[in-house]
Amino acid sequence: MDWLELALRVGAVTVAFLVLPLLVGQTEHKVMAHMQARLGPMYAGAFHGWAQLIADGVKFVQKEDITPRAADGPVFKLAPGVALIPYLLVLLVIPLGPGDLVGQPLDIGLFFALAIVGVGVVAVLMAAWSSANKYSLLGGLRAAAQLMGYELPFVLAAASVAMAAGTLSLPLIVERWEPWWLLWQLPATLVFFIAGLAEIRRPPFDMPIADSELVFGYMTEYTGLRFAFFLLAEYVGIVVISALTATLFLGGWHGPMAESLGWLWMLLKTGAVAFLVIWFRVAWPRLREDQLQRLCWLILVPVALAQLVLTAWVRVAMA
Amino acid sequence: MSGVPGYGLGKGLAITLKTLVSRSTTQQYPDVAPELPPRSRGVIALREENCTVCMLCARECPDWCIYIDSHKEEVVVPGAARPRQRNVLDRFDIDFSLCMYCGICIEACPFDALFWSPEFEYAEYDIRNLLHDKDRLNEWMATVPAPPAHDPQGEPSKEEANALKKAGAA
Amino acid sequence: MTAIDVMLSAVGLVAVGSALAVVSTQHLVRAGLWLVVTLGAVAVEFLLLRAEFVAWVQVLIYVGAVVVLLLFAVMLTRAPIGRSTDLDRPIGPALLIGAGSGLGLAGLFAWVFRDMRVNPPPTGSAQRVGEAIFGDWVLPFEVLSVLLLAALVGAIVLSKKDT
Repeated sequence: MDWLELALRVGAVTVAFLVLPLLVGQTEHKVMAHMQARLGPMYAGAFHGWAQLIADGVKFVQKEDITPRAADGPVFKLAPGVALIPYLLVLLVIPLGPGDLVGQPLDIGLFFALAIVGVGVVAVLMAAWSSANKYSLLGGLRAAAQLMGYELPFVLAAASVAMAAGTLSLPLIVERWEPWWLLWQLPATLVFFIAGLAEIRRPPFDMPIADSELVFGYMTEYTGLRFAFFLLAEYVGIVVISALTATLFLGGWHGPMAESLGWLWMLLKTGAVAFLVIWFRVAWPRLREDQLQRLCWLILVPVALAQLVLTAWVRVAMA
Repeated sequence: MSGVPGYGLGKGLAITLKTLVSRSTTQQYPDVAPELPPRSRGVIALREENCTVCMLCARECPDWCIYIDSHKEEVVVPGAARPRQRNVLDRFDIDFSLCMYCGICIEACPFDALFWSPEFEYAEYDIRNLLHDKDRLNEWMATVPAPPAHDPQGEPSKEEANALKKAGAA
Repeated sequence: MTAIDVMLSAVGLVAVGSALAVVSTQHLVRAGLWLVVTLGAVAVEFLLLRAEFVAWVQVLIYVGAVVVLLLFAVMLTRAPIGRSTDLDRPIGPALLIGAGSGLGLAGLFAWVFRDMRVNPPPTGSAQRVGEAIFGDWVLPFEVLSVLLLAALVGAIVLSKKDT
């Protein structure tokens, strides 16, 4: 019985892992197109191009899998998998609804999520170095500098909400969340979301893959399925960051009729945050490398630290 | 106003949101035919009967994409003193891979043998097929729109004015 | 031998094997990547020993930050792909020190704790670790914090331009 339940949970998370990123990707196709007064994909699947990403997947599978001769083969081939798996693991601990509607309730789920997301940078460095391409290497170094910098405000902002809730367990954090936290934790929310955007290297923080100067950064040499894995990792990244933001700061499954419709609220909040991620990509230009680091160290880190102090004060005052 | 920090960021978001909720301007071309102005320059049509092989078009063509061959024919008119000579068009080709759609040939033609047609869907897989012969050019005649009506406020043409004057004198 | 024991030994072998690869490989960057495997395996060992919190700290700090910093630094230098034949690694002293300290420590532990039987402690949750650190070990913890602060200030002073 236990094994059956475990298999069911892991299966459900895997389905979410495969479906949600495609949904986000398709939404990005369409939303981005309409924001630019275009229509986006219209043909694949007959109705408004709903099957475009499936068609893309088929295309990627058919493409030749090229490993450059000068590349470090094993590392080069391993990197996409290393990029993808951490996000899959993070999805396991994100609560979807009240009760035990979560892949795997972990006592220190938040810490687990933060630790695992941080592993992604190893994949970037692997891909960057093993490609034997200077654009790749430059992109990888930019990515590493960016990820190491933004990891700090990311973790600090998450620590603030963990402190407010007095637990590291994601389901418990959601359970103890109250609407007025929206105001109390607002700086942390903003810091977490911005740092999260930088963690998944989405515009306006896409300096590592800046296509106008670095071809495609650390992904330059990848083709076919391995490239698709990197793309999938990016979109799972959006899902993970959106879901974490919704869980930690927007109250997860809280909402009218949370007992029965909790999962819907969680999905809606995640979707709304993912929409923001797409919107920012369309509306804003890329940050320059120095602006990127300046934003991190001179704005986000101090704000996150101030939020920590504030959280501690309020906690002490309430106790 | 633009001095407020983040004003530009907000403006970017506002503009994209406005575009998102307004209709997109994409034309679904192969599914929905484009609405072209009636006198668009798509392809050049030839009315063979009007051509006198004067060669003006071929000579005026800036990139020499009109090829004309002809021979002379004697037409015996009963009752006339001697047979008349007439030019017969053997070949009239326009190479649309060279044509730059300047329309000078149409302007130059004194006998109304060349016309603009708004048809534009004649792309080919082989560049040689872009050389339209006179039969093909003749087919385009069916798509040529009627000439624009005279401006009702405008001065009447010389012929009309003359005809009117004659009618008034009689 | 329970299933846990078997897994403990297997993961331990992975850790030791990849650690050997770190010091013996001639691919400079791959040594850093092998270090990721080693530290990851150690994290799994912590997990198997029910020290969850320490395990994820291991991943966050060592895999996510320390090794990345190391790789970053290596890649800023030559970081050749393929073998570096000019590595200066005297095998004799390395073997002596490495194997000596490793085997010595292992033997020491085996001998000191030879009669001890420990019941598996309860899961090493964040709460337990927190209570231990801020209860029994608060003084060493604070001393360490001051040390880190001093290092931070030192780094700032060193990197500051002379005006």
